[in-house]
Amino acid sequence: MTVSSLTASAPAAKKVKSSGFLPYLGGKLVAAAVSFFVTLVIGFAIFTLMPSDPVRTLTRGRPTSEAQLAQLRIQLGLDDPLWERFLTFVGNTFKGELGYSWQFQQSVSSLVADRLGPTLLLMGTAAALSIAIGLWLGIRSGWRHGSLFDKIASSTSLTLWSVPTFWLGMILLVVFSVGVGPIPSLFPAGGMSEPSLPQEGWTHVVDVARHLVLPCLTMVLVVFAQYVTVMRASIIDEMGSPYLLTARAKGLTDDAVRRRHAVPNALLPSVTMIFMHLGILVSGAITVEAVYSWPGLGYLTYEALKIPDLPLLQGTFIVFSASVIIMNLLADVVYRFLDPRVRAQ
Amino acid sequence: MRTGNSRRRLALAACALSGTLLAGATAFAAAPAASATPAPQESTLRVKMSGAGIDTLNPFLAFFNGALDTFGLIYPTLNSLDENGKPGPYLAESWTPSEDKLTWTFKLRDGLKWSDGKPITAEDAAWTFNLIMTDAVAGTANGSLVSNFESVTAPDPTTLVIKTKAPQANVIYVSIPISGIPIVPKHIWEPQAKNLKDVKNDTYPIVGYGPWTLTEYKAEQYAKFDANKDFVLGKPGFDHMVQQSFKSTDAAVAALRSGQIDYINGVNPTQFKALQADKSLLTAQEVGNGWTGIEVNYNARTRTGKKIGTAHPALGDPVLRRAIHLATDKKTLVAKVLDGMGVVGAGYLPPAWPQWTWAPAAGQETPFDLAQANKILDEAGYTKGADGVRVDPKSGKPLNLRLGIHADDTADAGISTYLKGWLETIGIKLKIQTLSMSALNSDLAKGDWDILMDGWTTGPDPTYLLGLQTCAVLPKDDGTGGNTDSFFCDKAYDELFKKQLTTFDQDERAKVVADMQDILYKADVNQMHFYANTLDVARTDTVSGLITGKPDAQGMYPAQTAFWSYLKAAPAAAKQAAAGSEQGGGGLLWAGAGVLAVAVIGGVLVMRRRSSAGDRE
Repeated sequence: MTVSSLTASAPAAKKVKSSGFLPYLGGKLVAAAVSFFVTLVIGFAIFTLMPSDPVRTLTRGRPTSEAQLAQLRIQLGLDDPLWERFLTFVGNTFKGELGYSWQFQQSVSSLVADRLGPTLLLMGTAAALSIAIGLWLGIRSGWRHGSLFDKIASSTSLTLWSVPTFWLGMILLVVFSVGVGPIPSLFPAGGMSEPSLPQEGWTHVVDVARHLVLPCLTMVLVVFAQYVTVMRASIIDEMGSPYLLTARAKGLTDDAVRRRHAVPNALLPSVTMIFMHLGILVSGAITVEAVYSWPGLGYLTYEALKIPDLPLLQGTFIVFSASVIIMNLLADVVYRFLDPRVRAQ
Repeated sequence: MRTGNSRRRLALAACALSGTLLAGATAFAAAPAASATPAPQESTLRVKMSGAGIDTLNPFLAFFNGALDTFGLIYPTLNSLDENGKPGPYLAESWTPSEDKLTWTFKLRDGLKWSDGKPITAEDAAWTFNLIMTDAVAGTANGSLVSNFESVTAPDPTTLVIKTKAPQANVIYVSIPISGIPIVPKHIWEPQAKNLKDVKNDTYPIVGYGPWTLTEYKAEQYAKFDANKDFVLGKPGFDHMVQQSFKSTDAAVAALRSGQIDYINGVNPTQFKALQADKSLLTAQEVGNGWTGIEVNYNARTRTGKKIGTAHPALGDPVLRRAIHLATDKKTLVAKVLDGMGVVGAGYLPPAWPQWTWAPAAGQETPFDLAQANKILDEAGYTKGADGVRVDPKSGKPLNLRLGIHADDTADAGISTYLKGWLETIGIKLKIQTLSMSALNSDLAKGDWDILMDGWTTGPDPTYLLGLQTCAVLPKDDGTGGNTDSFFCDKAYDELFKKQLTTFDQDERAKVVADMQDILYKADVNQMHFYANTLDVARTDTVSGLITGKPDAQGMYPAQTAFWSYLKAAPAAAKQAAAGSEQGGGGLLWAGAGVLAVAVIGGVLVMRRRSSAGDRE
């Protein structure tokens, strides 16, 4: 969905010749709307055409008669013609209704809403930390590339980047939740809160924070490397630039040259990456959610896929696509303010 | 100016961060241990929620194990099940079928009350059954259990009369905990009956009756229960129970080892072996309630006999199917795939329900014998081609067969690798196709497969599972209406299926069921590889009595049910429990100290950075 939305919006960007903000925004909005509609079609097509027998999978393990199965097929609308199902799907989406989940027997929007908070808490915290740590390390490493600090930071982050997330999650779980050798059990093994504690107030906040530590740490360790590498590369690119020489010639300290001149120019690729990252925040992280039993949207999508629970699958797909498209749109707008070259187009 | 601002912001952010960390550290240190209980004198049983969790708390709509387990704990049923899986009294004290076998009269206990104090009467049961019988939505999950019911009436508060259309031997299995129909309070559900599809049933505590009352449920997180100390079949040993949802068993095992939970029903053999070494844990194997094996597509067709699907024509030959059976070393599969924690398969019904189990008589079993398999194929004219693959003499097609396996099942992957090797030695080439369960089900119904890995678990009444092998569940000509598992269809089998349904003497019925399994075994269409043991682990320092029944000579316990296990579980000696929670407290102190150290170091770095930046400029 990232690819489709990016490619869909790219030609639109070229068409905008005016330097006014509103026409520029208008063009981007139209492109976003087109992208969204295309994702709707793709979403419907791939999930509906996927070979599956949801009714049998849904009722597997329960004594269900042939009449019951037929009734369920009618109830779920599986016997309706494809075009009718597509029109209903598109119509409902524009009305803001995401349908009714087959397996959870409740509205998709309520299922998504229930899991949105936990997803954003985990993914948002992890993203903020990864961005902060990644950019900081990237700037430092790039500025002094080849130094011991650079070597340690780059190699550590790349090693962690290549580690499978679920594996790292399991290792952290065993070490810090069960305890190994002299390390005692420090954090809970799963879930978002301890059921025996009150589910509100300060105690609850602290309890959720304790449950958040390991999943968040896993996400951060795996993700921050991309910011390190991009930021490091951009800083190195900028280092030979004449304007830095000028800044130095003015007598600015090394620190000031880096902060005031090099970093703002080198930030642009990272901004793109941050917005792309923000776009996929809402889709959660299936592996981390599965390892730490975090009640997030990623795992919900996986559960939907197993049946497949088409309304739920399509619903989450719409939410994820919309989130990516909105973030891309925001990135385009922010870029206009950050980069004078975009304004000059 | 810009630099100054941004630096100030940085310093503020750093202060805020260290402030949060410090506050967090203090709070972490002060946070109660994970094993805290609501009050010192009250006890809480903490277990892993079973299976895929709860899909919905509406008992008319739910399919998932977690939901069924929960209903078994919070709603009553007519009958209970004893430890051998035989029906016993619950709401009903006694029951008698009429002479013509069409009317069952249940005598219900007097004086039982729903959790809101209203009396439980036969009218509640009659209303529940009638709703399922007459309303399509109410019949979503349990409609088939009452499809043979003519009428259900309550002539007085303690008498329930069930009339069936045809004699039905398993009426006493229709309303049993977990796998049967839960009876709901009419006064709560009647006003909602018209809108049943939208009823979430999430007003806590949920009005019901059972060993437990559900007091709180958070989707995909946990369910909390209070014990019903007046429960008619015994008083629960704990005051409260928490079922926590874990998406991976590894995480649940970690939680068990660190004392966060007390019991897991169903770990895998690797986890089980690793936990056996831990002295603070009780590891128990219970006999399996399901089989794993293969289905052979020997003759996919519709009810009228129209051939469908793309199966290899040679699979219709009993000799080839027998050769495949002979070439399957089930003992090795149990040893390698299950780490020895299972029983070699033969009969169609699993050993969890001993009244129905069947095994071939001595000398009748199909042994593992590759030479014999090769011999019978040679004799039947399956000659080997240049590539070592035999050719079907009738169709001229080489024996290249597809084996569909479940993508999310590690046992399937293990079995298929062995099977591929064994079959290759007898001149059959297997192409393994890894598919999602949904895609497998879709292919199955269309007959587009040769061999499929399959598995079924069953409740204590075998009717439904046995019914999957009858001609009546073959698809119609238009492809709809099928519920078959292997397109098996055999007249003698169908006759016996009807007979077992009308044999009211359960011992006699078991003999009929045994004959049915004999037919299935000899047909080699459903080849049972093994029955995996269910592997349970409980903490011995916090809970006792949770595993019910006595182990057999091989050390295997009878099948456990959530109903009895949680009812009979009681807190272990208080002294040991206290020791466990102390350990957790120590862990928290460590956590607090760690976070504090990070905060201090972070603070120092920020201060250092501020001063040096200022100095340099």
